[in-house]
Amino acid sequence: MQENKTEIKKGITLHTINTQKFKTNLMSIYLTTKLEEQTVTKNALAALLLRRGTATIPSQEEISKKLEEMYGCEFDNGIDKMGNNQIYKFYIETVNDEFLPQSEDKMWKKALEMILEIAISPYSENGGFKEEYFEKEKNTLKQIIEMRKDNKARYSLDRCIEEMFKGEPYGIFKYGKIEEIENIQNKELYEFYQNLIQNCKIDIYMSGNLPEEKEIIELLNQNKDFKKLQEREPIYSEVEIENREDSQEKLVEEKMEVSQGKLIIGLNVKAQNQKEKIATVVYNAILGGSANSKIFRNVREKAHLAYTAASNYIRLKNAIFIRTGIEIENYEKALKIIKEQLKDMEEGNFTEEDFNEAKQVITEGLKATYDEQDTQITYYFSQELAKENMEIKEYMKKINEVTKEEVINIAKKISIDTIYFLKRGE
Amino acid sequence: MQVIENLKVKEKLYTEKLENGLTVMIIPKKDVQKKYVIWGTKYGSNDSEFIVPGETEATKVPNGIAHFLEHKMFEQENGTDSLFALTSMGVSANAYTTNDQTAYLFEGIENFYEALTELMHTVQHPYFTDENVEKEKGIIAQEIKMYEDTPEWRVYLNAIKAMYKYHPVRIDTAGTVESISKITKETLYKCYNTFYNPSNMILVICGDFEPEELLEEVKKRLIETPANGEIKRIYPQEPEEINQEKIEEQMQVSTPLYTIGIKVGKLQEEVKAGLAIEILLDLLVGPSSQMYQKLYSEGTVFGEFNYSYETSRDYSHIIIGGTSKDPQKVYQEFKKRVAELKEKGINKEDFERLRKKLYGNLIKEFEDVSHIARMFLSDAINDINSFDYLEEIESVNLEYATQILNQIFNEEKMVISIIKN
Repeated sequence: MQENKTEIKKGITLHTINTQKFKTNLMSIYLTTKLEEQTVTKNALAALLLRRGTATIPSQEEISKKLEEMYGCEFDNGIDKMGNNQIYKFYIETVNDEFLPQSEDKMWKKALEMILEIAISPYSENGGFKEEYFEKEKNTLKQIIEMRKDNKARYSLDRCIEEMFKGEPYGIFKYGKIEEIENIQNKELYEFYQNLIQNCKIDIYMSGNLPEEKEIIELLNQNKDFKKLQEREPIYSEVEIENREDSQEKLVEEKMEVSQGKLIIGLNVKAQNQKEKIATVVYNAILGGSANSKIFRNVREKAHLAYTAASNYIRLKNAIFIRTGIEIENYEKALKIIKEQLKDMEEGNFTEEDFNEAKQVITEGLKATYDEQDTQITYYFSQELAKENMEIKEYMKKINEVTKEEVINIAKKISIDTIYFLKRGE
Repeated sequence: MQVIENLKVKEKLYTEKLENGLTVMIIPKKDVQKKYVIWGTKYGSNDSEFIVPGETEATKVPNGIAHFLEHKMFEQENGTDSLFALTSMGVSANAYTTNDQTAYLFEGIENFYEALTELMHTVQHPYFTDENVEKEKGIIAQEIKMYEDTPEWRVYLNAIKAMYKYHPVRIDTAGTVESISKITKETLYKCYNTFYNPSNMILVICGDFEPEELLEEVKKRLIETPANGEIKRIYPQEPEEINQEKIEEQMQVSTPLYTIGIKVGKLQEEVKAGLAIEILLDLLVGPSSQMYQKLYSEGTVFGEFNYSYETSRDYSHIIIGGTSKDPQKVYQEFKKRVAELKEKGINKEDFERLRKKLYGNLIKEFEDVSHIARMFLSDAINDINSFDYLEEIESVNLEYATQILNQIFNEEKMVISIIKN
């Protein structure tokens, strides 16, 4: 079960993963464009408008009814950031025909047609989006942005990222800014999107019980919406090794009505190449990647300071984020323990067991992607963006080749950049 | 083993009740790498008063003890923590407690039997000391506080409190910082010995296995424990009526959150009724419903409603939630739509379409090994075989759905909980 990749038109790639293993077929479309202050809010608003209606299915109600009629076919779309890019994501999932009472027209074909139409041919009136939808979705976007403070854990992490990458694309909130919303004009946004769809990087993923790739390509080339897409030199941010300057440790505090404090620490990682990045993956697993990790053991199990205590490595940005939820008065204590763990890593104070178990946690996770269609697609897409194109097996092999020395070496290139603390107060 | 096959979803269940009373259920999944084991006991936060088999007096224990017990089970007498031991084997282990069950589980690919040994040993060997009970109180207090800061959880729990007057479902699964402070090792052992008897437990495994062989492996790992008698669970007499129609609480949120509840009670033909309720909810508040379309386009709500039918041994209720600038308006609109649907009747075309959706959703439940195992466990706790939904769906027709609509969707059984600034 491997990924098959074909560039159908310049800048537009079809990725298929053919497998009989699942009860469903899953298809995703990713539109990748640069993450920039001037366009971030527009993209977020356009993404909301796309789900309101298409050229032939003019309302959300009718889209929903169609999906229900297709045995509860699931559709979702949204906006995300990955590295310095903003991504439009579209997903559609159908039940395999063999599990349906009467096999009508092939369900995956219907679903593919639908997702293409939603992404490429939004419903329009007078050269813009429908005015009613446009006004409504401006409001929805405002709500989404206002609501970000409600999820304290997510908010704290986002804020730490923003502070650490201030003035850089990755420091931009993926939904943009409230003040920008009112400046957007309907027709201008519609044209903006028309332009984007002709210039962005497009990746189409299909996983499941599928026909030959040739047949899918033929179907795409005949599809009325797909035909509209031209060849392009895609405009997006290609991944590069980032060299962030050595920064002074900076502390950012924010106050809210909370009973638990959130301490998030952003680490700057100076991994220079793929080999070092893979060593960083192992480093992170030892530090805070599992229930056996140093942070979990020392902050939660030994000192009983937290329920949540973990870390994540954002490969595309060469940064690690440590997340904990603690009693506010335990801030100093928790910070001290975390710093000790970082020091331990540098000095190689972790056991052979810690090291091997961390590798095992990673490889087990990778093996499991074979069982999950969505995780598998996400894996391949992040590989695509990182321009690494490693098969899962190869990635596992490289993880296993990492040595203890490489991990210690990388530990020495890691430093605290931003400490973010959300605490109680007005 | 007894074999139950479902031809619609093309899966089989192998099940056996062992001599010590333990029920073992195995769902083989060909060509899947992941293996999932979950060992559950019919014991949750609702069970705070009971009569131990062989005793005559009722025992009352502090709220949150089932959850506390779950946390403490991983600690072993030799000083190790089996959560770490399991993680070291490369599997990912966890446990959870709900109102009516506690479960221990792991998911993994390699070292399956080694991990099975560890998990089964853990669940069969409690080790509580004054000291380790004391230190756990700090961790759980942080967990309770995390939930306290989560408006989604608070608004949900308040809706439950609005529906139920006395039933313990109205108490937070984890208890309170105050209630858990009263927990001692003696009460923990008492609860363990009562509820962790094999006759009160169900073990479910899903993955690429030969069921009979696997059953033997399970048997090898069981220590000898005789089945105990019936545990008498004491729940307060819960009236059919709701407790109070509305609970409002203040929290820092950008947009008010609300949960509408409908108190249902225990139903006949649970599976069939549950399916009908799901179709009715889709019809009333689903993404294609008139109510959602109207409230969305006028700006009262900003996203789809979350809704579900929750059922346990002795009660059930409907939950509808979301965020809105005007929760009262959502509530009024819901009542209006229910009345309208009762008056005009269910449209045949809508009904058929939503039944198709439900059929597809039921098929999708059998994809992921972890989901399958958890579903079989949760259903079995309530004496339901998970295949039954697929078997029953055809019998849910328009007449039956209409009957359920009239029986259950009654205004006097509805409540609303709101959280706002």
